[in-house]
Amino acid sequence: MIPFGIVASLSLFYFGMLFAVAYYADQRSKTGRSLIDNANVYSFSLAVFCTSWTFYGSVGRAATSGIDFLTIYLGPTLMAFAWWFLLRRMVRISKEQNIASIADFVSSRYGKSAVLGAIVTLFAVIGIMPYIALQLKAVSHTFQLLTLPSETPHLVALTHSDNTALVVALLLGLFGVLFGARHLDATEHHEGLVAAVALESLLKLVAFVTVGIFVTYGLFDGFADIFAQFRERFPERQHLLMLGTEQISYPRWFSLTFMSMMAVMVLPRQFHIMVVENCREEHIGEAMWRFPAYLFLINLFVIPIALAGILLYNGDTAAADFYVLNLPLETGHPWLALLVFIGGFSASAGMVMVESVALSTMILNHLLMPVILKFYSGARNLSGLLINLKRIAIIVVILLGYLYYRLLGETAALVNIGLISFLAATQFAPAIIGGMYWRGATRRGATTGLVLGFVMWFYTLVIPAFVDSGWLSRAILDDGLFNLALLRPTALFGLVDFDIWSHALFWTLFVNVGSFLAISLLTSPQPVEMEQIGKFVDVFKTRAETPQLRRITKAPSVIEFVELMAKFIGEKQAHAAISEYLGHREIDEKGSLSEQELPQLKRFTELTLAGSVGIAPARIIIDNYLAARGSHMEDVFDVLGSVNISRTATREQLGVLYEAARVVSSGAPLQTMLDEILKIFIDQFRFDLCVIRILDPDRQVLSVRSQRGMSSPHFGSSERELNMDTFIGEAFLSNQMVVVNDCDTITKPATAEITRREGIVSLAHAPITLEGQPIGVLSAFSRTSKGIFTDEFVELFGSLANQIGVAWRNSQQTERLIAAREQQRELEIAKNIQLSLLPTTIPEVPGIGLAGVCLPAKDVGGDYYDFLLQPDGDLGLVIADVSGHNVGAALIMAETRTMIRARCDQSMTPQKTLAELNHFFYEDLTRAELFVTLFVLEYQPASGRIIYASAGHPPPLLWRIQSDSCERLDVEGLILGVRREFPYEQQERTLSPGDVLLLYTDGITEAANGTGEMFGEERLAELIRASGRLSPQALIDLIFLQVRLFTGTQSFDDDVSLVVLQINSGE
Amino acid sequence: MNLPAKTYPRLREAWGIFFFLGLVMLNYPFLHIFNKDVQIFGTPLLVLYLLVGWPLSIGIVYLFSLLHGIDGGSQPPAPPQDQA
Repeated sequence: MIPFGIVASLSLFYFGMLFAVAYYADQRSKTGRSLIDNANVYSFSLAVFCTSWTFYGSVGRAATSGIDFLTIYLGPTLMAFAWWFLLRRMVRISKEQNIASIADFVSSRYGKSAVLGAIVTLFAVIGIMPYIALQLKAVSHTFQLLTLPSETPHLVALTHSDNTALVVALLLGLFGVLFGARHLDATEHHEGLVAAVALESLLKLVAFVTVGIFVTYGLFDGFADIFAQFRERFPERQHLLMLGTEQISYPRWFSLTFMSMMAVMVLPRQFHIMVVENCREEHIGEAMWRFPAYLFLINLFVIPIALAGILLYNGDTAAADFYVLNLPLETGHPWLALLVFIGGFSASAGMVMVESVALSTMILNHLLMPVILKFYSGARNLSGLLINLKRIAIIVVILLGYLYYRLLGETAALVNIGLISFLAATQFAPAIIGGMYWRGATRRGATTGLVLGFVMWFYTLVIPAFVDSGWLSRAILDDGLFNLALLRPTALFGLVDFDIWSHALFWTLFVNVGSFLAISLLTSPQPVEMEQIGKFVDVFKTRAETPQLRRITKAPSVIEFVELMAKFIGEKQAHAAISEYLGHREIDEKGSLSEQELPQLKRFTELTLAGSVGIAPARIIIDNYLAARGSHMEDVFDVLGSVNISRTATREQLGVLYEAARVVSSGAPLQTMLDEILKIFIDQFRFDLCVIRILDPDRQVLSVRSQRGMSSPHFGSSERELNMDTFIGEAFLSNQMVVVNDCDTITKPATAEITRREGIVSLAHAPITLEGQPIGVLSAFSRTSKGIFTDEFVELFGSLANQIGVAWRNSQQTERLIAAREQQRELEIAKNIQLSLLPTTIPEVPGIGLAGVCLPAKDVGGDYYDFLLQPDGDLGLVIADVSGHNVGAALIMAETRTMIRARCDQSMTPQKTLAELNHFFYEDLTRAELFVTLFVLEYQPASGRIIYASAGHPPPLLWRIQSDSCERLDVEGLILGVRREFPYEQQERTLSPGDVLLLYTDGITEAANGTGEMFGEERLAELIRASGRLSPQALIDLIFLQVRLFTGTQSFDDDVSLVVLQINSGE
Repeated sequence: MNLPAKTYPRLREAWGIFFFLGLVMLNYPFLHIFNKDVQIFGTPLLVLYLLVGWPLSIGIVYLFSLLHGIDGGSQPPAPPQDQA
């Protein structure tokens, strides 16, 4: 034995060292030089997985059961290989959500459910309590082993009347309080705790490997020697080194491996160290091989020590759990035994410290907080109470463990207690892993799975454990509940021939996973869950920066948020948190956050609170606080329909613009388009009123072109002057959007008055522009929601105003197009009328040759000529040119023709014809703003005399064959329609045989070439002189040819008409 | 060294394969191959298999993590969203 004083002093010294290291780490972190921000420390701290169960229990199990103890470490080794995508995901999610415990993780994933958090906490406490008891038992037993007289024959004689366990429990509790609950924020790193745990891990490894080397190479001659001696002396126990035996069936091997794999991920202390205390994700990459390497090293000498123990104790395995300690002790190496004791103590202490801190966080956040909040009036500052509750919780957790140990810890072997806890933790795995990868997992599914899993766990594992402890009669194991054989806890529903672990694992997971899947498929996630699903399942996917499309009505100020936080986490922490938060945010001139920032501050407050009081309570606190103020989060999601955030939302926004664009391009009448656009807009965004006003250029007012929504004489139907007195006028004149998110802040007195009267709480006006210039204003009014015009929404609103501008432009263009088409059709009509006026045949008049041609320009028709054969045998010639080129002109022409033809029978002189025409058409021509030039000539075949008069028409040319000269039939006369009464002049000449008379319109003489030079009268006269002997038609053809050659184009710009009268020469 | 974006999915697959291989090699029937009453260097075959295979797999993971820059001395592969 070792004197009690030495062991106790060493233990206290070791405790002191742990406190010192923890204190040092805490102090270092305050100066920014974190000790635990290190991959080695992280990997060592993960070895908190190896408790006294590993340190003592592995050897015990190896000696009694065989090599299945390895599964407890092979499972985590395998799991570690998957950490890069599994653990990293958990860490990322937890950091983003400020998750402080495994209960928070589950609760957060399933819609921040308080119930689920409480269930997980309750099961964790129940499931882990024996595990803590196990650690205390180990410390207590080893302490006694060291200090009891060596004559004490068997460990079974150990009493538990000692108080070692209680002292250790209290010291560990003190450590937990000092280094695990200094602040309420459980998400901050507990530098001291982690540093101490890492040191403990190092120590227990060194101690175990040292004793391993001592036993293997000191007491024996290496591995082979031990195996050889074991084979020789205990050939009947070779099954300890084999699989597929009665003790270690393959299903059992698999079950234990699987349970260990799950446990290493979801045990509360593992989650705390791996996830909450993780400083950097890259440390995970290192830990992926360091942690398995640690597990390998600490297990390397387990089999040699176990076999050595069997050999040295002559096959007595009753105290195999403590071979590690007894071998050095009983072979006379007390200092080595002391090292082992410290190693084992480290293993126990590390586990108890971390587990108690993790569980106390869960208890405070998920069991106590809901009760506190129920009775919390909002007035008191709770931060002091909460931190003290957490400290008490740490002590209580450890003392509960102690109680468990005192009540029934003595009866069960170490390893069994550990495995019972492992299977309890395994029940969390479906909800956690499923929740991280499966969108369909719902709160109800997870809750049902967890509850049923734990019921099954209790029934198949805990009940048999109670029976073993003598708490329950064996009858329930042999006969089943209610004497139903099917309900035997270790052979449930007839599943026999399975070891207890495989049996329990199968049934718990069957009901857990089965109900989790089934209920999840049958139920759909609630809205609050929907929000969380993405944060878990898509944590590594690019998420659009979620713009806050929510606002808080009657929003608390920044100070009020800080006060709220201070009530729960203390003033100092609250101020530190808020200053860090505000550090990189824009604060407006009033020293407060913008409206869009407030929901983010609310979220920040919730996250900060979540770190200290848990996720579900934080949500409740915030919700209650806002509700008490009468303010609430307004879901802009509701107001804006589905136009909110990220990709889907953008699609919705684009959808609105697309719909509007579709309307714009539909070619519908403008009014329909405007109405349609407003309909789409108001349907999508649920505004109370939307109005489009367009500038009336004549009156210089903005008049309503379309409105939709509530009837409001002021906003919906009245015109707006172009001035800065109204927001609409301001939007138009400044050509900038005007957004009022809260009408209470309106400074324009008149508008403020009216918005109040009409109940409008927010409004926006966007200028409708055409090529950058405002032509109108699009307005939207809401009676229900303040603050709906977020930056994103304002952008959309502006785009919509632009669409309306496009619709307006399109409509204008359409109008012009229609006008052009109408004009085109009119021109065709005019042309047809004109062509129908031209003579179709040339009258037969003896002694003369006649020809007439009219070539209308492209679509323009304005010329007219006619041959009028009078009853007395005289021949009338008319040529005219109307200035307009439309139906009106053509009708004038038709009337002219009718008039002339009517006068023709009355044998009126040209002079009189013109005077009458002028008089008759004056009104029409003036009204139609048309002019007509006209030349009327009467040829009397008998005398060869011509009588003619002109109304401003280009004078015809008369070629005298005898003198070979060209005369202009120049006669005074005003064009028709200029003056009502005009005395037209009339002249007469006599034609000789061979003479050629050419009547033409100005299209000939004004035909211009490329340089702008006109064909002119001179060239025409020359042409007649040169070719006057040609037949009339040939002459006309020649003239056309020459004019075309002159202009260089085939067509004429204006109508061209020619009439040739040639007196037969009689040759 | 930073891992090029395109190799990230492969890395993920590789860890998946290691994980799966480990599961297979540590279970029936694979273990049954070594579950024989045979001594090699005086050590039972099954014990030897586990005590050699275990560190070997850790070594492979270590080497692989070095190769792909996951170890602590270099930057880990940036998560996918950083590369998007």
